[in-house]
Amino acid sequence: MKVVGARLPRYDGVGHVTGRTTYVDDVRVPGMLHAAALRSPHHNARITRFDTSPAESMAGVHAVVTHADVPLLVYGHLSGAGIPGDEPLLAKDVVRYKGQPMALVAADTVEIARAACAAIAVEYEELPALLDVRLGFEDDVPVVNDTFGNWYDEFEGGMDRRQIRKGDWKAALDAADLVVQGVYRTQSLEQAPLETQVCLAIPEPDGRLTIHTCTQALYFSLGVVCAHLELPLSQVKMVGGTVGGGFGGKVDTASDTLSALAAQKSGRPVKWRWTREEEMLASSNRGPWHMEIIDAVTSDGWILGRKMLSLHDAGAYGRFSVYGLTKHSFHHTGAYSIPNLHFDGYVVFTNRIPTTAMRGYGVTGLSTAIEIHMERVARELGMDPYAVRLKNANRINDTSPNRIAYEDPSTVEVLQAIAEATGTQLSDELRKLSRAPREGDMLPEHLLAQIGEGGH
Amino acid sequence: MDLVVNSVTHQVSSPPLTSLLEVLREELDITSPKVGCESGGCGACTVLVDGEPRRSCLTALCMVEGVEVTTVEGLGTPAVLSRVQQAFIHHYAAQCGFCTSGMVVAATAYLDGGGSADLESIQEALSGHYCRCTGYVKILEAVAAVASGNGFDLTATASSPNTTYVTIDGGGQS
Amino acid sequence: MAVHRGTGMATVEYPTGMNQNGDPSQAWIKVKPDGRVDVFAGTADIGNGSKTVQSQIVAETIGVPYDWVTYDNSNTDSSPLCTGTFASRATFVAGNAVLKAARQVRERILSVAGREMEIDPADLELADGRVSVVGTPAKSMGVDEVAGAATFVHGELLTGDGAHLNPGATIVDPATGEVDLPPHAAISYAACVAEVEVDDETGDVQVLKLTQAYDIGRAMNPTLLEGQIDGGAVMGLGFGLLETCYPYYPDVEHRGDSFATYHVPRMEELPEIANVLIENPSSEGPYGAKGIGEMANNAQPSAIAIAIHDAVGVWVTEFPITPERVLAALDRKAAGEDEPRREGKVVTYDAHLSVNAVASKISWTP
Repeated sequence: MKVVGARLPRYDGVGHVTGRTTYVDDVRVPGMLHAAALRSPHHNARITRFDTSPAESMAGVHAVVTHADVPLLVYGHLSGAGIPGDEPLLAKDVVRYKGQPMALVAADTVEIARAACAAIAVEYEELPALLDVRLGFEDDVPVVNDTFGNWYDEFEGGMDRRQIRKGDWKAALDAADLVVQGVYRTQSLEQAPLETQVCLAIPEPDGRLTIHTCTQALYFSLGVVCAHLELPLSQVKMVGGTVGGGFGGKVDTASDTLSALAAQKSGRPVKWRWTREEEMLASSNRGPWHMEIIDAVTSDGWILGRKMLSLHDAGAYGRFSVYGLTKHSFHHTGAYSIPNLHFDGYVVFTNRIPTTAMRGYGVTGLSTAIEIHMERVARELGMDPYAVRLKNANRINDTSPNRIAYEDPSTVEVLQAIAEATGTQLSDELRKLSRAPREGDMLPEHLLAQIGEGGH
Repeated sequence: MDLVVNSVTHQVSSPPLTSLLEVLREELDITSPKVGCESGGCGACTVLVDGEPRRSCLTALCMVEGVEVTTVEGLGTPAVLSRVQQAFIHHYAAQCGFCTSGMVVAATAYLDGGGSADLESIQEALSGHYCRCTGYVKILEAVAAVASGNGFDLTATASSPNTTYVTIDGGGQS
Repeated sequence: MAVHRGTGMATVEYPTGMNQNGDPSQAWIKVKPDGRVDVFAGTADIGNGSKTVQSQIVAETIGVPYDWVTYDNSNTDSSPLCTGTFASRATFVAGNAVLKAARQVRERILSVAGREMEIDPADLELADGRVSVVGTPAKSMGVDEVAGAATFVHGELLTGDGAHLNPGATIVDPATGEVDLPPHAAISYAACVAEVEVDDETGDVQVLKLTQAYDIGRAMNPTLLEGQIDGGAVMGLGFGLLETCYPYYPDVEHRGDSFATYHVPRMEELPEIANVLIENPSSEGPYGAKGIGEMANNAQPSAIAIAIHDAVGVWVTEFPITPERVLAALDRKAAGEDEPRREGKVVTYDAHLSVNAVASKISWTP
């Protein structure tokens, strides 16, 4: 191999360093309007008055798009996976988070568009907000999500949680010498790409729409736009592929659909570039996780079982959260094999911005929780943290939480490499380990049981 | 008024308090300065004003009358790249590229001012320029390489001084 | 009052491709009459380098120089479907699609060359833009000549198309989470050791060094790969110590609305980073590649948290680990309140954070 594996320069490197790479905001077309959004100032409120006529009558305003203009107002990002939609593209009757879009105005200048947003007459009846995922299950709390209530309850089999069961947690608990319980709470992060959300939607003379988009997923966004607009995929051309950073924050780009609607309604090209403040305060971000881990361990360092609760703070609407929780559940043993598992995970709704993917979706916070917990287990046992990790490291033919055999796990080799790189002395026994299937003295009863159950 | 950008004099009609960033992008179609925050917080819109790096989003048009404004377009072209631009290619210092114009401009000012390859000095000079992709490692390497007088092969990129590779056998499964 | 040093290690795994798979990518390729190759794929380049890596895969697979390849991901009219650039899937899944398309192109080039040279295509090889006879390298013709002959003599278009889809895994038992097929395309592994300094007066944490080991499958472009891994390390540092949308979570006030008030890592916060990259090829990835784009920020937060414990003896398990949280933990320790509860063989940390402490309808106990 000569090309693959070579240290070749970036395909688009010359464009980047000379300022010639064209991002969405660098595209401008004649007659282009500029857009601004009216967003909810409240975390939870009923809209008691919503009159756009003052904005519509302003000079320089060409379209005011509201929920009434959206052919299919509610479309779920995971509809293709059978998960119902719950989020209106523009708020109708209620707002469930601060920053929720209620209208998009297209005008000659962005200043006029912003002034027109401010001129829309809105009155609210403010409602109490639910913000703590731990309280979502209580009787006397506000109801956040108008479709699902306070937690998603349409998993397979009509279950209200993602559940993993493997082996026998109770037996592991009984057999354990030590049980270690801990709570881990990871935060919401803004993906913060240097390029904010931006879109340019152009109505074409043949009736099609051309949408210059910053999406990370051209075809996914094509599908979402066409679903809301009730158009066949042929009627929209997404133009993009050159994105100023994403990190997960540019998959659910509502900016495309809303700009397209404004372009349709005004008959003019519409550009909508979010401000940094909007990007920080209203764009979807990484979801917080509340995780409680209980490990049942033996005095010589085997993790016999794990009982885990995960509450995924989805924000006000589902977006990809069910996917994120399912991925999370599939990886809740980390880089280790744990034979007895009892996992319950919930997608819980709160009155904050709907959360979405960010680098390591569903797993980054989980890895954080697992590894601190592993360290606590090792310290409680008075054992070398490398020894506990290497002992439980997943090996060929061990099985995952959902009973799939690992074909080529390299936890052992990676741990040995990091030990060597940091000058950490491992015992001869640990240095000799490999990912090879467990056998003989490395294989206690409980792992034999696991392979018997899951080997295939 | 007259605005001199990359040695070309333009007649501009934007009001005097319009930001230089908006004038460059919207009136003159010079799009290399990027709109990252419009509040001086990210560095993506940085240009040179009489050789000094300035946030064009915070610079009013009336403040640059009669002085020379330089954007990254004025530092080099695809056919004739500046040494800083060559270094950014050779060291893979751009990923998404959105911060790159500002980084190249600021690095050029630092190096034209006699900046050294000292890491902390480069960090100080480029402070306030955010990059979300690279972790800054290769940007710093690129700037230091220019300061060290290195030449740059544009058909290949530089190996990393902080990375070693090992191969383990028995692979080949998923 | 003093500055304390500590070290912490964490190990992580992460899948390539969407969870439960079922995420297709498609590509097609055409060859111009001078042998230059145009690739059409719908994979957005968000800085991850998919334009570069996919062009490398095509050049390598067909056997032409890298600079003969143009890559067009610019629109959905020309390019076929790609599920998108996320889930660490662009190199593996979309890379496999362009790989398959490139193999077809190579076969068609060899077929036309065989007719031109009156030799069985099985006896031909293709590298560096030339088709030559195996064992008789002097007998050869350029891909440019082959493409010209295809266009103007044989009346053919040299194209290839490719699609990659790992079949979707279904949860066959929602009570246990059992699935019928592997729910990932490959799995990667990594470890990180963080070295920190903690100021017990201010609560400030400085990360001095991150040493990292990654199983990356195969380094398709080492410099590009290193860039992603360095960038991930710094993002992981931001997760560990700096960044949050809700500083007083679950409260929603005091949100950062700019780079001044939402703390993305700055250049001067860059620690020393040292990487060991382990090539452990995946059998199903293009040329052995795995996807590591996302996992690059997964190991640092816990390694830093563990290092802080090593330095000053407190566990902070709410993120990010701000100076306020470090100081609060040190205060709890000084007051003797940070010891876990020990009842029989059960050791309970963080009881004050648990659902058990605040909720009546949900609890979590052994």
